[in-house]
Amino acid sequence: MSTLIRTDVTSVKLYKDIILAGIGSFLCTFNIKNSKPIQKIQALDGQKIHGIIPSNCLTKLLIFGGKQFVIFNEIESIFKPRGDAVVYDDWIHTAVWLSENEIALLSAHNVVTTWDITTTKLLQQHINKDNSILYSGLLQPLQHDILVFSGTVYSQVILQWFGDEQPLHYLKGHKGVIFSIRCNLQKGIIVTTSDDRSVKIWSVTSACSDYNIKTYWKNAHIDCVHDLYGHLARVMRNTLTNLYIISVGEDSAICFWDYNGNLLKKTISHQNSCIWSLDADETNLVTGGGDCGIMMHPLSSVTHNSHDEVIDISVTPKKILFTARNNIVITRVDNILNYYNSNFSKIQEIKLNHTSTYQLVGLSSCKQLIAVVDMDGHLDIIIENCKGDPGLTKIIETQLHLGKILSMQWAGNRHLVFCSEGGVITVGASKRNTIEIIARYLLPPCKERWLTASALNDTRDALVVGDRCGHVHLYESRRQQPAYTMKRVHGRYGPTSIDIRNDIVRTTGRDGTVRYLKIIESGLKYMSCKDLEFEWVEKFLDSQGKYLCGFRERSLVVYDVENDLKVVDVSCGGGHRAWDAERYIENNHGCYDEWLRIMFVKNTQVYVHTFRLRDIVSTVILPGTHSKEINCLRTYRCRDDDPVTWFITGGEDTTLRVSTSEQEAEFRDRAVFRHLSNVRAVRLLSVAKDETLVVSAGGRAQICIRSITFTDRKVTAEELVDYQIKGTDKERRGNQNWRNCSVDFDPETRIMDVVVDELNEDRVVIYTACSDGEVRVFEWNRRGGRFTMTQEVRHHRTCILKMKMFTCCNKKIISTCGTRGDVAFWEVSSDGTLAEEPALVLRTNDSGINSVDVKVTGDCQFLLATGGDDNAVHMNLVRVAGEGRWVVVTSHVYRDAHCSQVTGLALLDGLCVTTGVDQRLTSVSWRVEGEEIKTEFIDQKYSDVSDIHGMDVVRDTGDRLTVCVYGKGIQVFELLRPPCVA
Amino acid sequence: MGKTSKDKRDIYYRLAKEEGWRARSAFKLLQINEEHNIFNGVLRAVDLCAAPGSWSQVLTKKLRQNAENDDDVKIVAVDLQAMAALPGVKQIQGDITKISTANEIIKEFEGLKADLVVCDGAPDVTGLHDIDEYVQSQLLLAALNITTHVLKTGGVFVAKIFRGKDVTLVYSQLKLFFEFVTVSKPRSSRNSSIEAFVICQNYNPPPGYVPTMINPLLDHKYCDFNQLTGPNRFIVPFIACGDLSAYDSDTSYPLLLEGQTSYEYKEPVQGPIDPPYKDILEKTKSMQINNS
Ligand SMILES: C[S@@+](CC[C@H](N)C(=O)[O-])C[C@H]1O[C@@H](n2cnc3c(N)ncnc32)[C@H](O)[C@@H]1O
Repeated sequence: MSTLIRTDVTSVKLYKDIILAGIGSFLCTFNIKNSKPIQKIQALDGQKIHGIIPSNCLTKLLIFGGKQFVIFNEIESIFKPRGDAVVYDDWIHTAVWLSENEIALLSAHNVVTTWDITTTKLLQQHINKDNSILYSGLLQPLQHDILVFSGTVYSQVILQWFGDEQPLHYLKGHKGVIFSIRCNLQKGIIVTTSDDRSVKIWSVTSACSDYNIKTYWKNAHIDCVHDLYGHLARVMRNTLTNLYIISVGEDSAICFWDYNGNLLKKTISHQNSCIWSLDADETNLVTGGGDCGIMMHPLSSVTHNSHDEVIDISVTPKKILFTARNNIVITRVDNILNYYNSNFSKIQEIKLNHTSTYQLVGLSSCKQLIAVVDMDGHLDIIIENCKGDPGLTKIIETQLHLGKILSMQWAGNRHLVFCSEGGVITVGASKRNTIEIIARYLLPPCKERWLTASALNDTRDALVVGDRCGHVHLYESRRQQPAYTMKRVHGRYGPTSIDIRNDIVRTTGRDGTVRYLKIIESGLKYMSCKDLEFEWVEKFLDSQGKYLCGFRERSLVVYDVENDLKVVDVSCGGGHRAWDAERYIENNHGCYDEWLRIMFVKNTQVYVHTFRLRDIVSTVILPGTHSKEINCLRTYRCRDDDPVTWFITGGEDTTLRVSTSEQEAEFRDRAVFRHLSNVRAVRLLSVAKDETLVVSAGGRAQICIRSITFTDRKVTAEELVDYQIKGTDKERRGNQNWRNCSVDFDPETRIMDVVVDELNEDRVVIYTACSDGEVRVFEWNRRGGRFTMTQEVRHHRTCILKMKMFTCCNKKIISTCGTRGDVAFWEVSSDGTLAEEPALVLRTNDSGINSVDVKVTGDCQFLLATGGDDNAVHMNLVRVAGEGRWVVVTSHVYRDAHCSQVTGLALLDGLCVTTGVDQRLTSVSWRVEGEEIKTEFIDQKYSDVSDIHGMDVVRDTGDRLTVCVYGKGIQVFELLRPPCVA
Repeated sequence: MGKTSKDKRDIYYRLAKEEGWRARSAFKLLQINEEHNIFNGVLRAVDLCAAPGSWSQVLTKKLRQNAENDDDVKIVAVDLQAMAALPGVKQIQGDITKISTANEIIKEFEGLKADLVVCDGAPDVTGLHDIDEYVQSQLLLAALNITTHVLKTGGVFVAKIFRGKDVTLVYSQLKLFFEFVTVSKPRSSRNSSIEAFVICQNYNPPPGYVPTMINPLLDHKYCDFNQLTGPNRFIVPFIACGDLSAYDSDTSYPLLLEGQTSYEYKEPVQGPIDPPYKDILEKTKSMQINNS
């Protein structure tokens, strides 16, 4: 039984108020209003769903994929199959309902068939003349006939009347495989997309007026009227609405075109994975992606974007701010502060008495208090009332004597942090109508010696500030000098914002990152980093930390970091001008709406854009995850009886992710980390119930160690090690003339697998299997943080693929498996080093070994099972004799488990579970009888996950085994263990 | 990335350049031969899906060793793509799944039969495994169909195959026509790659089988002796090929290989084929495609 499935979403359909999706062979349905999953039911057998077509009366579904199709009935939003899936001889590309009981299919050899669904009998078959393999097609039902569009590899679309011998038209013009064809008869438009990255609009004109009859098509002229380029990779699919042509592609882009070929909007979705499927009605577009996610995009976002206003003020504004009541404060060069209400009418003007033109303006975190100070220390504090007609009141006007003031920020709602010449930091708090100085600190010298951001931690009386060199300083206990300095947290402009919540310091910067630090006894500890798609990250707009704003080149952008979505992107000229952004909630007759408002200054005018989020923001129907194959996966549970399972996965998309799933729909990424290249191996070392060390490694010879703490559904991460095995100096310098160079150097090594072992509380040893055939051993001190290579052992002359560590005969043993089908066993000494020579070398497989497991069967005896490219499972019973005399007692091969590479293997008591690229999960029983190993087939299951890279045992309760296979997606299975092997 | 970076990542890419092969695939055919002796006594061969032509290069070299006279050797190479001329190789540009192409090949042999048919065909993968595997199997079946017209009884057929979820269906189909069917993976083919090669020996079509081009060979379906899931699946023996001491395509080698004293960067023998989106690259060069 499969309990969780995430893989490419190859089909989506809007049906009444339900979203239908094909995820592998499963039909999954979601409520369009609240995105909640309704149903998950297996529709096909061993095939992915590539099409879901509702019948004309909306009572039935035709579901097809591969060589199968099946009919489902709908009763009150619940779908049930009408019978078994029908297996046809050819790959079905498209299908259509001819009546409530008759369907037509177009298959890859350009064959059209019609079927009676009540009897599932084939009615008619027509083999079209040109039977080279099709990649796409369209069956367009006419009043009494079918118009057949076939998209060939040969970059043509063939148009044919169903039943005719000769095609009617050949649409030529594409330069590659045709991936999708759509047609709008009323408009006389055909739209095609291709491998050649273009979208083409063809217009049909005919002397005849009725498109239902053959003469219309016979006399038609079909010309390509628009050749559209908007995608940067293959254009996989398209769909048509009344107003738009929508195309999606391999580049993760959704392009909205009008019928004149204008690109109205282009958005990137699904985390840079291919978008495989789409469907639209007149209000929404749904898309399904290679990231296993489903998104819904409101079509209102294509044109209607925002409500735009311009506030014209004759004098150049200096600073503009949104207040707590969504009103606007504008300070001007001429010492005047203006107050506008949310309808953009000026309601107040306050004259300020500043002497210096250099003015600093700050807004408290509650957005109610505005502070204006000039270089000479003249300070005004103005408050916005919270009830009644909006109004501002100056509550403090005072003169500070701090020397030349270079920066000022609010730290919370009570404290102002000034930095004046010589790096003098002064913290003041408002007291009645004046400011009381409560602390003074000294900023260490740096080039531009002032602060860019600051925050206060009340409970600890700690001040955290950022300076222009990107350093972050922590001041404590009123001591002048920083208690701790963390250098270069952000780039050379310094942190743009800092805030603190429960000891966690969150900083943003103009280096495209958000960084997380933790305040600890000894100062600050670096925790983790989040990379954004835009360089200039300015601040969070809400307290939950969901919306982040900043600048990408000349645009002001707002991102939803929770869902990894760009929400707003407005060209404003860049981040150096005055600007502000806010997010607020409005109660509209009991209906809560989220709004975003941004404003910026351009030529003495303030431009304000207001967005209602639900008009512009895409909704996540099913959260996505890795955009490419998952190479490695480990599951973790805090306690044996914990219903929550954590999945720690590393992928080809260079990310390491921590996801959780309690119920299926809740499977979602809770944290995403980036590697320099693909992540190939991950191991866990549990250090506490709710804390584990995660060691990940992969391409570019990179090894990372993080500590991950699980609390509820939340993950806190601390980055501990980020190490790269470097080449020699020569290689790193590059640009060598290698011609006569006789120096050897490190190649581009990949780490293929890792094993982690704990020597004691402090010392952790990491063994890495490298693509150059070396085993490299590292030691890391958990307290001291030192990570050093301690040993390099070379035995395999070719790439090592897998490693396994186990204990037998009171010895720690590591086995390494290579591309030649060879396994070497190494004894590990008490200090974690490997013996110079392997204790035993075996050649088990004919070719590379992709999976290995070991089961200790006696005092000094273990069973080794290996699976690999030779699609066989090899078992060897090994006896560890004294003084390194190891012997293979007996060997056995099981060849029927898989017909392709065996990539996952788990050896349990009496049971061997394997998986492979052939998408099967096979259980075989094993036992040792005398000197013989005996195996027997128990069960096999099919998995929808393609390119399976491995398997992990999630839990084993004795009678029930839960395993997770991973590759292009993940799937969890529950296997019942037959009593004989339990 | 530097010029030498691909040389470092892919030993066979580098060796192909150094030994004058048009593609690294040459080593796959050579290693298949090491294990299976497929060139034994072969004079006439068909190379399906041949571009850029490294297999044709290998065939020319090996088949000429079997002949007294170079003219006795006949090699017909077919591909969708045009490929640079090779002496002694007759080229046909066409789609092997089309009847017209098949007829052209049959015509070339003027009633004589070929001793060997090889097919290295692979589609441009879409990223959806099931479709890619299906299209690949259709190329293989198209090649098998052509084979049934031109291959002599007792002849050999070698073809690339994707060992995906439905590969047993292809195996059972092949087994109808050949006495021995094995699957092999040359050492020059990556461990991580789904590709392998079927070596089909002793062509022996079912009695009464009449080759036809009109109805292409259709895929097999799962049945009792070849189940979708279960203990009865049609699995053919696997044989690794290529010397154990041969270079390994997954291993990272230094630029200076063992026993060498110098490294020299070599240009590829054949430039890459123009991609289908070449036009678009040209057209959009001046145009800026922005994400809004
Ligand atoms: C991996 S390459 C072959 C390399 C070749 N064996 C060599 O050694 O140079 C695969 C070839 O299959 C060709 N191909 C794919 N589909 C084809 C088809 N339907 N008909 C003919 N050739 C096809 C492609 O054009 C491509 O050149």
